Amino acid sequence: MAKEIFMPKLSSTMEVGTLLQWFKEEGDSVEMGEPLFEIMTDKINIEVESYEEGVLLKKYFNVDDEVEVNACIGYIGEAGEKVPDTPPAASGESDAEEAREEVSVEENGEAASAHSDPAENKGGKVRATPAARRVSRENDISLSTVPGSGPNGRVHQQDVETAIAKGAIAVTPLAEKIAADHGVDLKQVIGTGARGKIEKQDVLAYLESAKGTVSEAHAPQAERIKLKGLRKAVADKMVESVQTIPHVTLTSDVDMTNVMDLRKSLLPVIEKDTGYRLSFTEVIMKAAANALAKHPKLNASLIGDEIVMNKEVNIGLAVAVENGLIVPSVKNVNQKGLAELTQVSKELGRKARENKLKPDEMRGSTFTISNLGMYAIDAFTPIINGPETAILGVGRIIEKPVVVDGQLVARPMMVLSLSFDHRAIDGAPAAAFLTDLKANLENPYSLLV
Amino acid sequence: MREITYLEAVREAMSQEMRANEDVFILGEDIGVYGGAFGVTRGMIEEFGPERIRNTPISESGIAGAAVGAALTGMRPILELQFSDFITIAMDQMVNQAAKIRYMYGGKGKVPMVLRTPSGSGTGAAAQHSQSLEAWVAHIPGLKVVQPSTAHDVKGLLKAAMDDDNPVIFYEHKLLYKTKGDVPEEQYSIPLGKADVKREGTDVTIVATAIMVHRALEAAEELEKEGISVEVVDPRTLVPLDTETIIQSVSKTSRLVVVHEAVKRGGYGAEIASMIAESEAFDYLDAPIKRLGGASSPIPYNPELEKMHVPQVPDIIQAVKETLNKA
Amino acid sequence: MNHLKVPEKITENKLVELYKQMWLIRYFEEKVDQFFAKGKIHGTTHLAVGQEASAAGVCALLDKEDKITSTHRGHGHCIAKGATPDKMMAELFGRTTGYCKGKGGSMHIADVEMGNLGANGIVGGGIPLAVGSALTASMKKLNYVTVCFFGDGATNEGSFHEAVNLAAVWNLPVIFVCENNQYGMSGSVKEMVKVEDIATRAKAYGIPGVVADGNDIIEMINVTDEAIARAKNGEGPTLIEAKTYRWKGHSKSDAKKYRTRDEENEWREKDPIKRLKELLISESIFTEEKAEALRKEALKEIEDAVAFAEEGPMPTKDDLLTDVFA
Repeated sequence: MAKEIFMPKLSSTMEVGTLLQWFKEEGDSVEMGEPLFEIMTDKINIEVESYEEGVLLKKYFNVDDEVEVNACIGYIGEAGEKVPDTPPAASGESDAEEAREEVSVEENGEAASAHSDPAENKGGKVRATPAARRVSRENDISLSTVPGSGPNGRVHQQDVETAIAKGAIAVTPLAEKIAADHGVDLKQVIGTGARGKIEKQDVLAYLESAKGTVSEAHAPQAERIKLKGLRKAVADKMVESVQTIPHVTLTSDVDMTNVMDLRKSLLPVIEKDTGYRLSFTEVIMKAAANALAKHPKLNASLIGDEIVMNKEVNIGLAVAVENGLIVPSVKNVNQKGLAELTQVSKELGRKARENKLKPDEMRGSTFTISNLGMYAIDAFTPIINGPETAILGVGRIIEKPVVVDGQLVARPMMVLSLSFDHRAIDGAPAAAFLTDLKANLENPYSLLV
Repeated sequence: MREITYLEAVREAMSQEMRANEDVFILGEDIGVYGGAFGVTRGMIEEFGPERIRNTPISESGIAGAAVGAALTGMRPILELQFSDFITIAMDQMVNQAAKIRYMYGGKGKVPMVLRTPSGSGTGAAAQHSQSLEAWVAHIPGLKVVQPSTAHDVKGLLKAAMDDDNPVIFYEHKLLYKTKGDVPEEQYSIPLGKADVKREGTDVTIVATAIMVHRALEAAEELEKEGISVEVVDPRTLVPLDTETIIQSVSKTSRLVVVHEAVKRGGYGAEIASMIAESEAFDYLDAPIKRLGGASSPIPYNPELEKMHVPQVPDIIQAVKETLNKA
Repeated sequence: MNHLKVPEKITENKLVELYKQMWLIRYFEEKVDQFFAKGKIHGTTHLAVGQEASAAGVCALLDKEDKITSTHRGHGHCIAKGATPDKMMAELFGRTTGYCKGKGGSMHIADVEMGNLGANGIVGGGIPLAVGSALTASMKKLNYVTVCFFGDGATNEGSFHEAVNLAAVWNLPVIFVCENNQYGMSGSVKEMVKVEDIATRAKAYGIPGVVADGNDIIEMINVTDEAIARAKNGEGPTLIEAKTYRWKGHSKSDAKKYRTRDEENEWREKDPIKRLKELLISESIFTEEKAEALRKEALKEIEDAVAFAEEGPMPTKDDLLTDVFA
């Protein structure tokens, strides 16, 4: 039977060979090992020797033809043997090649799975040792809430254990991931699991309640501003105050008719004297200082487990600045007249806004006033500026219908909101103070007494 | 128990085995009446004769290959290379022949031989006679690698190496030859692949090899005075490696320092560190793993420079403290 | 066999057997070449077509207890030392039924039980191993010889000189057979070795060196016989240089640009198989018809070997890590 002459595969990368020349013509006899034809591959030119012996029966290709590897390019056999007129199809892929392909498919499969992107890599990473991670995992503690004691804040196992002892936020990994994906601060989420552990549904519930305020994954990315500097100081102070002080807030309406008259008459006098315009704040300060002198419990500080009864009446003024809140302290308010109060208050306010306050000017307040009267705010719940034990919130002055002597009349009214520390002060003394303060303002001339 | 030196323990292990097993013989350069470069075979030619204490030409490739061929055909040769640096010249025979023959032949044939060779610095012999190249051979599947640190261990491990049906590269440390220890008189075997906890501790694990075992123990002694409890693990054999003992120790202490004399870059310490990183001990690690090894330079001649090249006791103390954030 | 001077051990039947064996070797290699070209076998291979007489001639005198070490061009040595083509072909196909369970391939076929200590992928790598084997014979007082095959290229390796010297100083029963096929890959021996005959290198080690016509099986048998006698008499090693020629390229993808067709044709004229056939006919040991029948038998055996190889199972992942250690 005639034997195929085939295009040999001479390198692992060879796919086709170009026929350069035939050394034999059809009808010539060929010996095993005799050069039969020459080809060019992707690497070399090579003379191909016959694997068979007999007569060259057929040449299917000519010089310069490109022939696929393994394709039949002719036949050798006994003289007169019949062979096909056209080349038969190549005998298919070899075993070795099939095996190789199977392997490469497997490799690709593995590569794809190995490169799947772990979602945990998103966002900021916490520097922590494997042991710290294990303990946090076992206790469902979010590492981001644990302060690290190692170099560069690296969290060690001991840090996590300390945090657990202090009651760190427990959260399941899934809940933590959902929270991270949605930019939810876990501190805002109420956990319903064992020991208050935050679970998936807790985060989802929070997201539901906060719909519209929390950006969805597909919404434009919210800008993220790191808490730092003053903002961080304010934040820490507020948290400390809210978390440690049991706040109670009392409100009372004040008829400001007489204060307005007083201010009207004193305004030009003080302006001429100091160059500053008297505002209601100074009058309220003066009235508050007077009441504080009579109610020293509201002027006290709570430090550790001691209530400190302050001798001076120093009133802190909450001033809104660029990136937070500063409370300069006006000293000995009860000993100052309105002109001096106006001057001191205005200068402290300016220094605060210009960030020029000296440390001394921010210390020592015994009571604080926060005035939102320039906004459309009536009442609010001010947060105590610890270790002080009370704070006065001042709302706007607006004409309201009130009943005076049985007549409905319009009067300029203002709401005072007094928050006090219920650890140091009970409701009755606080109410008595606020009542006196209200009286002082409704009859400011009493301050002259 | 009787105290003998590390060197005597090596000699005793070979002599006892040669009395018991006719197939065991030693070949190497100047091992006859000269007694070997470090005197390990001194006196042996008188007992066993020149056939079995076979002095060879200076032909590391030839004699390594002859050992492989003899092992393949039924002998159990011990090949002594004068300095472990010379394995470079015998490398083809050990790496391409000895290590692979059994596998290449589909499990037929075996190569029961021991290549004994002194390694390490500290003798002032400089760059070509002081290296620790164990990582090279540990990289080659088919070779076992042993690094004994004490007289007791060297005798038992050499017995196990001679009994093994595979090529074993057996590193003796030059500076340990004169160290003494309690060594039983009778033959005994310490299985290859069994680490030894040389000192128990709770705060940090030091995995140290060869002479570094002794430096680690000294460091541990010092650290104990400061209230730091160090566990010292001596793997004794790099291949096979007793991963279990090391993992257990690190899981307990949460901290790992690896110390060897060989150049740190690409050294076997990297293998131990990675092994821990891949193991269940990873989750117990409470500090980055520390590696101490030789500097990335050839070994210098000047004695002070030579000391600086390799880890010393203060380096180990420092590394331990760093893992404890106490440095 | 009046004209034919051969050792007693080489009977007429043995010569007929050797004739067929040379065909077995040639067909085995031709088949392998073809399968490589078809991509049916992967890796690489080195063929010794044209060199059959040295393998067959040297091994003709060896007993089962005698050992050989071989080279990357070792299929012929293997078959001559008693390996069967079916398990060899299975090895090249990477099957578990191969001599090395598919882990060794063309360059590492060994049959330790039959005294074949293995082919070797490192040029000159097997020479010290042969010396070690001879050392065992000497120390255990076993009466076997070790034949060490290598090529002309290996005699420029350090391992050759170290090993020959070692065998010489220890008087070991080893026979070094250098098959000088004129080329170390593409390097002509004329350019790589200064001496005319590699056999003269023996002088440097104080052992006999013999030049033989490597394409004349009768001459190969006779020089080997003398070397065996020396080895067994405790007279030490012999270096035999068999002058021969590698018909094919070094391995696959060799365009053989470093030599001419004329040179190749010259050597084809010295075809060792043809020469033995003519000799056996002229000595009336067999007829042309018998010769043809033997050739066909050999071809059939190789085709059967291919069938055996193709049927063998592939190794699995479970086999990957076995046999690393004893």
